[in-house]
Amino acid sequence: MLYLFYLIAAISVISALTVVSAKNPVNSVIALILCFLSIAGHYVLLNAQFLAMVHIIVYTGAIMVLFLFVIMLLNLNRAAEPMKTLGTRVAAVLSGGLFFLTLLAALRNGISVTAANAFDPGVGLVHSVGMSLFSEFLLPFEISSVLFLSAMVGVVMLAKKEKTWTPPVRNAFTEKPLTEHELDAEG
Amino acid sequence: MSALILISILGVLMLYAGLMAPRKVLAPLGIIGLLAALFLLRSGWNVNTEFFGHMVQFDGFGLVFSEALILLTVLLFVFGVDYYARLHENVAEQYALMLFSLVGAIMLTSYQHLLILFLGIEILSIPLYILAGGKRDSFRSGEAAFKYFVQGSFASGFFLLGIALLYGSCASFDLAVIQAYASAPIPGTEMLFLLGLFFTIAGLSFKVAAVPFHFWSPDVYEGSPTLVTAFMSTVVKTAAFAAFYRLIQYMDLPKALDMMLVVMTWLTLFLGNIVALRQSQFKRLMAYSGIAHTGFLLLAFLGRDPLTPSVLFFYTVTYSIATVGLFVVLTLAKRAAKGDENIRIFKGLFRSSPWLAIVTMLLLLSLAGIPLTAGFVAKYRVFLIGIESGFLKTTAFAVLMALVGIYYYVIVIREAFTPRDKGPQLVVSPLNWLVISFCGIAVMLLGLFPGLLHL
Repeated sequence: MLYLFYLIAAISVISALTVVSAKNPVNSVIALILCFLSIAGHYVLLNAQFLAMVHIIVYTGAIMVLFLFVIMLLNLNRAAEPMKTLGTRVAAVLSGGLFFLTLLAALRNGISVTAANAFDPGVGLVHSVGMSLFSEFLLPFEISSVLFLSAMVGVVMLAKKEKTWTPPVRNAFTEKPLTEHELDAEG
Repeated sequence: MSALILISILGVLMLYAGLMAPRKVLAPLGIIGLLAALFLLRSGWNVNTEFFGHMVQFDGFGLVFSEALILLTVLLFVFGVDYYARLHENVAEQYALMLFSLVGAIMLTSYQHLLILFLGIEILSIPLYILAGGKRDSFRSGEAAFKYFVQGSFASGFFLLGIALLYGSCASFDLAVIQAYASAPIPGTEMLFLLGLFFTIAGLSFKVAAVPFHFWSPDVYEGSPTLVTAFMSTVVKTAAFAAFYRLIQYMDLPKALDMMLVVMTWLTLFLGNIVALRQSQFKRLMAYSGIAHTGFLLLAFLGRDPLTPSVLFFYTVTYSIATVGLFVVLTLAKRAAKGDENIRIFKGLFRSSPWLAIVTMLLLLSLAGIPLTAGFVAKYRVFLIGIESGFLKTTAFAVLMALVGIYYYVIVIREAFTPRDKGPQLVVSPLNWLVISFCGIAVMLLGLFPGLLHL
């Protein structure tokens, strides 16, 4: 079990380093998928099946596909990469270093929190998550459907094709396209 | 609770009605449904019921704010009849999104559990991000939606982190447990609690547009369709303030956070009023005036007096009524001026339509806080509560800023009453006339008889 942990941890660290060091953004995303999968492995080791499954479905599935699409649509390559000036680089290194120092100092002193409840190894199982979702947290569970419904309505509303294509409106006298103000006249 | 369910179902019904029914039934359907919800809320008075194991609690505070929110939405729907009459599609969707947003707003007035608070904020916000981008061919509308979405998500992230830290220190999401913890913190976890509360308050300050979390508000107000801007500055603001106050009402805040609230009040009062002096676009002016009013409302928070809820209620309602009326007038004037939003479009309004000019003057005077209008009573009560709870310097500063604020409202009034050969030709539909007159008369009546509206 312990060796399994070391193996998965090594995979996560190496893939995370690949994400930031890869030259090609697509490679970077693939490494990120690997990183997420290995983190899901950690969840399984901690007995949190539900979290592991959700992690794979949401992050590795939905979000990473979105990432790939965005990268392909933006058509990123070396030439399009904006060059950073020396000042930006120095500032980035400085602020990153300071943040690292702060974290190190915080860890040295340590924040000690005693657990309020005793650890229950069964808490992350699908069964117990489902039980609390449908009893104690029923209201949040049900009411989030309103949230999803409105998000779906919004997507349809914003992405729906206009019924008829109208040519750009031009001013009758000047023959110029209407200005922003004139277009906005309604409301 | 049944009102909450009814409004959610009403939203779905609205979507179906958009498919099957002619457009002119949409607004009446919404209004009838909302009035039914109001009736259901009425039946819950003095019962003080809690639901789902202390998740939401419809006490007097929640009920009275919910009723105000529903009535404001009814007012906006009446405005919507004419506003959406020229829009070709997506009308039902916009009404439905407004109803969903209202569901979130009602949750915010009566939550008892931080998860409900978070879900309420999200249900309130997500439809708004979409509504802000409702005018698809307008660049500014898209800009508003995107800015609101990105900054709002950022604020939600901080807010969620705050809730996680609060859970880490108190081991509960329940507001009562957290309040009990605040009075007697467990040694060693105070820092965690402080950080958690800090992030939670920052997230809520974003929603009420308090300085320094106000950056979204002018751009979003300016770019959104006017009806949505009116919705944001009335329903959303009222709900966010109710949520904010509900969180800290019975809580012994740590010293640092008390200090932070005072500093935020000063900054908000100062920046809102001073920057508003230099605005020439009416919607931006209203955005900064909204920030200034946030400052006055924060002042009422500071002492957490037993009277604060009623002051808060009176202030938000009178502010909302005046704002709705002004945005209706703006829409009409903007149409007459072919899309211009500069305050000079009101020039000569008194010559062409005297009644509208008089009501506009009343509403602006109410926002400025001139005696005999509702705004004066509201501001007076806020100052009184500020003095009673010992924030003398802050109150004095607020009075000073209120005086500064009169200037930019009077500029608009001056435009409306400047004689001009041919004033703007406003086309006023009967329903819009009704909304404007209602707002004007309500502001006047509440100024003369403030007892009509109490908690």
